[in-house]
Amino acid sequence: MKDVKVCVLRIEGTNCEDEAAQAFASVGATPEKVHLKQLLGQCPSDLKRDLGSYDILMLPGGFSAGDYVRAGAIFAARMKSGLKKDIVRFVEDGKPVLGVCNGFQILVELGLLPALDGTMSEAPEAALYTNDSGRFECRPTLLRQERKGRGVFTSGIPRGSVVMYPSAHAEGKLMFPRSEEGKMLDRLLENDQVMFRYVDPEGDYAGYPWCPNGSLHNIAGICNPAGNVLGMMPHPERVLKRETHPDWTRAKWKEDGDGLSLFRSAVGSIR
Amino acid sequence: MSLDHLLFKRDVPFHLVEIGLAAATDDELRELSKEMGLSLSLDEMKRIRDHFIALERRPTDVELESIAQAWSEHCCYKSSKVILREHIFGIDNGKVLSRGDAGVMEFDDEYGYALRIESHNHPSAIEPYGGAATGIGGIVRDVLCMGAQPVALIDPLFFGPVDFKGELPAGSKTPKYLVSGVVAGIRDYGNRIGIPTVCGGLYFDGSYLGNCLVNVGCVGIVKRKDLRDNAVGGVGDHLILCGGRTGRDGIHGVTFASAELSSKSEDESRGAVQLGDPITKEPLIHACLEVNSLGLINGMKDLGGGGLSCVVGEMALSGGCGAEVDLDKVPLKESGLAPWEVWVSESQERMMLAASEENVERILDLFAMWDVDATVIGKVVPGKCVTLKWQGVQVFQVDLGFLTAGPEYCRPCKIEVRSKTIREVKPKLPDMKTVVLDLLADPNIASKEWVFRMYDHEVRGGTVVKPASGVLNRGGPSDATVIKPLPDRERGLALAIGVNPWFCGLDAYRGGMASIDEACRNIIAVGGYPDSFTDCLNFGNPEKPERLGELKQAVAGMGDLARFLNLPVPSGNVSLYNETSRGSVLPTPTVLGLGIVEDVRKCVTTDLKKEGNLLYLVGETAEELGGSAVYRQYGGQGGEVPGVSPEGLKRSMDDMHAVMKKGLVASCHDVSDGGLAIAVAEMCLGGDIGASIETEQDKWFMFSESNTRWVVEIEPSKEREFLEGMGVPVVILGKVGGRSLEIGTGDGKASVPLKDMRDAWSGALPKLMG
Repeated sequence: MKDVKVCVLRIEGTNCEDEAAQAFASVGATPEKVHLKQLLGQCPSDLKRDLGSYDILMLPGGFSAGDYVRAGAIFAARMKSGLKKDIVRFVEDGKPVLGVCNGFQILVELGLLPALDGTMSEAPEAALYTNDSGRFECRPTLLRQERKGRGVFTSGIPRGSVVMYPSAHAEGKLMFPRSEEGKMLDRLLENDQVMFRYVDPEGDYAGYPWCPNGSLHNIAGICNPAGNVLGMMPHPERVLKRETHPDWTRAKWKEDGDGLSLFRSAVGSIR
Repeated sequence: MSLDHLLFKRDVPFHLVEIGLAAATDDELRELSKEMGLSLSLDEMKRIRDHFIALERRPTDVELESIAQAWSEHCCYKSSKVILREHIFGIDNGKVLSRGDAGVMEFDDEYGYALRIESHNHPSAIEPYGGAATGIGGIVRDVLCMGAQPVALIDPLFFGPVDFKGELPAGSKTPKYLVSGVVAGIRDYGNRIGIPTVCGGLYFDGSYLGNCLVNVGCVGIVKRKDLRDNAVGGVGDHLILCGGRTGRDGIHGVTFASAELSSKSEDESRGAVQLGDPITKEPLIHACLEVNSLGLINGMKDLGGGGLSCVVGEMALSGGCGAEVDLDKVPLKESGLAPWEVWVSESQERMMLAASEENVERILDLFAMWDVDATVIGKVVPGKCVTLKWQGVQVFQVDLGFLTAGPEYCRPCKIEVRSKTIREVKPKLPDMKTVVLDLLADPNIASKEWVFRMYDHEVRGGTVVKPASGVLNRGGPSDATVIKPLPDRERGLALAIGVNPWFCGLDAYRGGMASIDEACRNIIAVGGYPDSFTDCLNFGNPEKPERLGELKQAVAGMGDLARFLNLPVPSGNVSLYNETSRGSVLPTPTVLGLGIVEDVRKCVTTDLKKEGNLLYLVGETAEELGGSAVYRQYGGQGGEVPGVSPEGLKRSMDDMHAVMKKGLVASCHDVSDGGLAIAVAEMCLGGDIGASIETEQDKWFMFSESNTRWVVEIEPSKEREFLEGMGVPVVILGKVGGRSLEIGTGDGKASVPLKDMRDAWSGALPKLMG
């Protein structure tokens, strides 16, 4: 079986890299935590790395550079200035790119999502805005997988199935420029880019707290038109095993957590 | 009083002053201590004077400031050490791996876990956001400098009543402002550094008006081979200062913490509060752990109270060496700092590494990759002396023996047991339904969801039992939180707080015991077994005999019980002088208990699981209502404070642990604030299902807060095996089912709808905080 190499990219303030790496390791891939400066060559020579040598790029959650400007903006700017060509090639080669939480925010800032018209838009087309509650929200969220087509992330998560990935963010409300909101949402749907939407235990598109941020159309995660770049606010890497689900003591025991199938899909697509 | 004639400015191109202690009168010594912000007593000033007379020279300001830091209550525990040594220090069951800046205990054959809790009370009372944030920063460094990866944060907080309408102590801030600021500080710092805030508590009492208590705990995990001493390796080691730059923030933090708060604290001591920067801390954690796991360093210590002045001396002394430091190499935030300011500044996010020369370059490279400053500022030398130079001029030379031989006091103490002197007044209670709803809405009992949903309690992906247990988005309170610190192992750690200031106020000895009992019950309730404790002792002014008596009694109670259980307290912290013009805070010995969970997949939570299951009460209930929530709610006075039978606790823990391991318990909740009725109510809330419970006793049975008790839910098919397993008293209470809590007692009954309970319990805190 092919050794699947995963670049778990980080800078200061990235803080979900351990569990992100663990997620890929637990489905048989070989993750490596890589500092952005290792890809940019700003480090001792034995630590230099080449993005092209990896099969999957993972942008974990956290507060990259403190999120003091706009969530993900600084990380995205640093990536864009030094790595733009490498990233575009990585995406156009069809390799999976996953951004979770702050990683999603970075993908939007980079223009890799929603990327309605290609690989990477010049300027961000959307924003992940402050939650309607005005607060950081750390709580369980239920998501329904809604992509019609198949893609690198969906093979293990059938359309219509509901998964529990917890959320933990202060800025997760997906928004488009107000004047174009309807039009852009339509295109997103036409392109089959909406992968995860927040639902309640009955499966309905519900408001707070099931949709923790007030996101447009209850959207929790979107992919690019090609389906190989996925960004989402909730954290699949926090539920690799059943015992980290919030209500696991109430249900019949099974080993796997809901998050595992997402990583299994991505790694499986390479093999 | 002018002191100018005692100050001799040295002829150098920077600020350096010698102080003519030899010629100073007693009044002048007192005034010097005050003017320079040293918080030293006259006797201490005289000891320093005599030391320098013997050396036949005057101390510099750098030296005098440094000694004041080292001899502060905060650094040398001068009022409490005698008491702690008698009751706490000696407990050792052979599983303590280290008693450094954090304690370290065995986790399994390969790993240890680090634990510590400390206070950041005075800074938080002045500047709640920054005070709380830097409290987290400091405790994380204590764990980090053992070589451990921090894996959990714990924050018990104590404030005045949010709805307090009376007059606040002069200069103090409203409880609402303090709660908001402290919670935001913990949120923004903890969430950014990516360490889950998993457990804590929110306590309200009038005694905390003007002097809130912010206790911050941290737990870490360390491979035993990576465990580091907070010491230099030996002569020739380089001292590498890394992390944040040094500035004027946090000067005199420890001496400020060692005095009562007053109306002037804000103006005089605002500069004593440090500024936190989590986005320097986050990569600092990575870089320190990386150079440690690569075997590049010999020792590591964090810069906390007293700054460089404490860290250099303590690291060198622990390694049996001296040190020479070029103080002007320290990277600064701003120019123009005097040498003494650089030496004692408590600027945040700094760590000191000791490394052999051949490893220095690689260390500096790795820190550069993380964009974290790292600078060699000195080296380790033979002898027992620390020497400092500034622009080539020697500004400091002090013998470490003298510097670290801070005074120890056996101050007078007076022991009062108020529960014995106050006549008990039982309050008149409204109907029982109202009592249950009032207690559920008591901010000390009500849901803390408003707080813990703002803390990322799941980052690192290892939180197994979370702050809320039960139906999604409708959970009840958990007893202990459980984390799985290593992703590939099912062994876990249970973390629980035990503290009851109201018990301690009436009977500090019993209150101290109760804090240990509560931490143990909570750990047992999730399926863990208690393993160690760390404590944060928050008390008033130790120079007042009654206050010191409270400290002594509480510590004796904790120590006696911990010793009986043979569970060590490998780390801790003492915070004294928690007083304002209104008086002292309630004696508040906060215990953080750590338990081992052999297999986290066997954990039990508090939420009721299934209609028809049986409810049992484990443990004995006495009419012990002193300090109880129901007395506080309705104006009761005095009363017997719940006692603890050490033998009873041990037997109960063992029986309970055995039946839990066998999987006989569907849910379990310890009985604490509000008593039995509230424990069952909380279980109903988590399971979103009702229950009916009954007793022939009178209503007080439902609200007594006797220690060492749990409510357990048992499937009928497992009842027999459960009963056979329990040697300690158990009594049937009733059944799970329905949409309300039905309570029957010998003198009345109540039916409390689930919906009303949820409104009362969930609504209270958001309503108060707006």
